[in-house]
Amino acid sequence: MKTHFLFPYWCRYLGWALILLHVPISMFGRARGMVNIMDNGPTSTGLFTGVHLFFICTSLVMVSGLFLVAFAKEKVEDEQIWHLRLDSLRWAIYINYLILIISLVFIEDVGHMLELNLWVPLLFFIIRFRWVIFRLNSSFSKEDGHEK
Amino acid sequence: MKNNIRVERAIKNITQADLAEAVNVSRQTINTIESNKYVPSTVLALKIARVFGKPLEEVFMLEEGD
Repeated sequence: MKTHFLFPYWCRYLGWALILLHVPISMFGRARGMVNIMDNGPTSTGLFTGVHLFFICTSLVMVSGLFLVAFAKEKVEDEQIWHLRLDSLRWAIYINYLILIISLVFIEDVGHMLELNLWVPLLFFIIRFRWVIFRLNSSFSKEDGHEK
Repeated sequence: MKNNIRVERAIKNITQADLAEAVNVSRQTINTIESNKYVPSTVLALKIARVFGKPLEEVFMLEEGD
């Protein structure tokens, strides 16, 4: 099957590395008194100031990591995987907009809403996609014993 | 949609893995098609029928409610 644009398989590991990398950077920065730009709303702190760089190193590194993990190819990327991928993406969009609508009504803090929007669709997509693939594989290995 | 893939495989004496390799999908996909959990695309259905050398309607058939 001709697949649309996806990152190569190894990008998944690069993505996880970026997500893990973001944790110590974030902790180190916060320990040194840096605040996430989102905590005060995306105000004009200027480009490439300390706060802005800290924002790049945390939120953006994590989001790029999630993006790579979400859109890296599977080992065998066939039409069923593609179908599951689209289905998970649909659910991620549903959940994202549900959360967005609820927060639009109840939360006034726009900065945090943006931050939430950065990672909720990708994170939910990854969880849902891995879960359906896990279920697919476990139902397969159950039958595999007597079906070769 | 029902299918006769399991029977056709037995006649041709090929495994799910052989069929999967012949049509370029994973074994899981062949497995879920056989157990009617996944409806393949027209392209994949035609490829599977070609492996068995039979017309599409002899491998895949509609069932009531489709």
